Amino acid sequence: MRLRRLAAVAAALFVLAACSPAGPDDPPAADGVTTVSVRVWDDQVAAAYEKSFAEFSRQNPDIRVQVNTTSYADYFTGLTLDVASGTADDIYWLNALYFGALADGGKLIDIGKALPDEVGGWVPAAVQQYTRGGTLWGVPALTDGRIVVYYNKAMVEAAGVDPQNLTWNPTDPAADTFLPAAKKLTRDAAGRTADQPGFDPGTVTQYGFNAGRDLQAIYYNFIGENGGRFQAPDDTFAFTEPRSEQAFSYLVDLINTHHVAPPASATNTNYDFSRDQFLQGKMALFQSGTYNLKNIDDGATFAWGIAPLVAGPAGRVSVVNSVIAAGNADSPRRDAILLVLRWLGSEQGASFVGGEGAALPAVTAAQQGYSDYWAGRGVDTRYFGAAGGTDTIPAPSGPKFGAGSTAFEPIFNDVFAGRVPVAEGLRAAQDAGNAALR
Amino acid sequence: MRSRDTRTAYLLLAPSLFGVAAFLVLPILVVVWLALQRWDLIGPRTFVGLDNVVAVAQDGRFARSLLVTAVFVAIVIPAQTVLGLGAALLLNRGLRGSAVFRVLYVLPWICAPLALGVVWRWILAPTDGALNALIGHRIEWLSDPVLALPSVAAVTVWTQVGYVALFFVAGLRAIPSTLLEAALLDGAGPWQTFRLITLPLLRPTLFFVLVTGVISTFQVFDSVYALTPKGGPQGVTDVVAGRIYYEAFESRAVGQAAVMAVVLFVLLVAITLVQQRWFSRRTTYDLST
Repeated sequence: MRLRRLAAVAAALFVLAACSPAGPDDPPAADGVTTVSVRVWDDQVAAAYEKSFAEFSRQNPDIRVQVNTTSYADYFTGLTLDVASGTADDIYWLNALYFGALADGGKLIDIGKALPDEVGGWVPAAVQQYTRGGTLWGVPALTDGRIVVYYNKAMVEAAGVDPQNLTWNPTDPAADTFLPAAKKLTRDAAGRTADQPGFDPGTVTQYGFNAGRDLQAIYYNFIGENGGRFQAPDDTFAFTEPRSEQAFSYLVDLINTHHVAPPASATNTNYDFSRDQFLQGKMALFQSGTYNLKNIDDGATFAWGIAPLVAGPAGRVSVVNSVIAAGNADSPRRDAILLVLRWLGSEQGASFVGGEGAALPAVTAAQQGYSDYWAGRGVDTRYFGAAGGTDTIPAPSGPKFGAGSTAFEPIFNDVFAGRVPVAEGLRAAQDAGNAALR
Repeated sequence: MRSRDTRTAYLLLAPSLFGVAAFLVLPILVVVWLALQRWDLIGPRTFVGLDNVVAVAQDGRFARSLLVTAVFVAIVIPAQTVLGLGAALLLNRGLRGSAVFRVLYVLPWICAPLALGVVWRWILAPTDGALNALIGHRIEWLSDPVLALPSVAAVTVWTQVGYVALFFVAGLRAIPSTLLEAALLDGAGPWQTFRLITLPLLRPTLFFVLVTGVISTFQVFDSVYALTPKGGPQGVTDVVAGRIYYEAFESRAVGQAAVMAVVLFVLLVAITLVQQRWFSRRTTYDLST
């Protein structure tokens, strides 16, 4: 994109910003059908939504629902521009990183007020996460459940590792069973494991674990499991405190000292690198969430299993994130939007998502379908729930978390790549993140 | 009569003038106006005067991105100009297959820079990348702070060489053969002919290639974004257009991004004026013998 194009975008923003996006209700199309658009970032769920909305339109013949899928990498940049220019979809998914700014900006329909009778049917953690200023700003659509460890059965058996009971400890090597296991699971081109003499970290053909700059699957949980925190109660960043720094140091050492995880140069900018390595049979333990369950089930050509999170000094602590379907407050199709949102928040509407195994619905009554689907495929999903632990670390919060993460992520890249000492990098990242919050 | 001619002229120019006003002048004015506002794209806009200018001046990242861009331009422009001229001289010799090579050279320039960036990212990937597999060594082309900028510059040069060569070929063909023959008769060798006849007469082409090259390289975004997103390792590929993008659409500080855009605009106008003055004293457009 050249500068001229940026200028054109700016001009378009100006022209569009000068217009009031909210107008009188759009008249229905000539055939009397109102079309409501829904923007999501997940192909698997989009496919389930198509089926769900087909049923919705059968029950509501005057409303058609169009599902638009955008890749996650571009999702929020495009959404922000579209909201600014008044061309956003009628309903769009939001996660914790970006919802605060849109809620504070008055861009979202107040669901707590519009659908108060439905709130009791939704996962309480999701309702709590997206309640801001005393009201709920979207219908909880998905909840990721707890983070787990997917493992390659042949690899762990060959190494004699039990993935169900691994513990890590940054200060007491005797209490750390995870690092020795990860070393046994990491192999070079000559077949030597990372705990053997002569191991060549430059020719690794099988990684033990997916340590990397992955907020949800990796570093939030490690921080929580070491009793640290990422944000203070006022939403400012607080990850330089000693326990958080220890967790980061442990992860960075897994990559750069012990070489049991892929180099950060491979994972910093390719968010799917580790998942692909696992699917290609080049990684033994892959810590991730429900959002990768379908991908692994579809893509793995080997026997695999699910273990609970690797436990830290403070036990198994997971971040539990949810996604909401938010109503566009500027859309003229408010009544139709609320009907669609009510459907998404109902047991029947959400059952398509769970019943297809695409994701774990945040509608409590629809979650059984998800478990049943995966049980039918021989997959044990209990570790996504209480069997995987009950302790959690608060999910990202605050209206400017997205801006903060834009500031600290490049510095995290250097920290994970080992180019900057952990303490120094975390201090710079925290300062940059907090500056972006102001 | 004269005023009717004037009216007709303006009437005929009206479509173009509308285009210039709507897509050039208006966006520039809007960017200047945005530079005086605080706006996060979502909430209301607030007039803040010169606060954004002060914030940008105090933000070391913008100064760094200007420096990165200057180094990037200093690598790309000489390389693409010399390689483009070399390719043009070879193509102009009318050897067999020249037409095919002319098309091949231009292909990278025709392709979408973002797509090319993605392809090159695969080629230069440290793990499972094609280049590392070929040479048998694991080199972090795009994530090593020392190598990242030269690697991105190399991809940019590769993309642009064909385009530059195309203009030089046209410039070489515009040189009257009689001048070259006269030089030959006077006993000039190939190097003397090139230095004393060809190169001076190519100055109009050189001027065009340098001006457009410098402007487009200062504004480079897509390929750098695709190869090294977020400014690359330790910000070594954080070019100005990228910084403007991150500031506007990721940090949502539209006002500060607008200030950066204005600074870049002024800088480019200044550089272009300097180039124009330099070439105007040394260039002839009269190739008649």
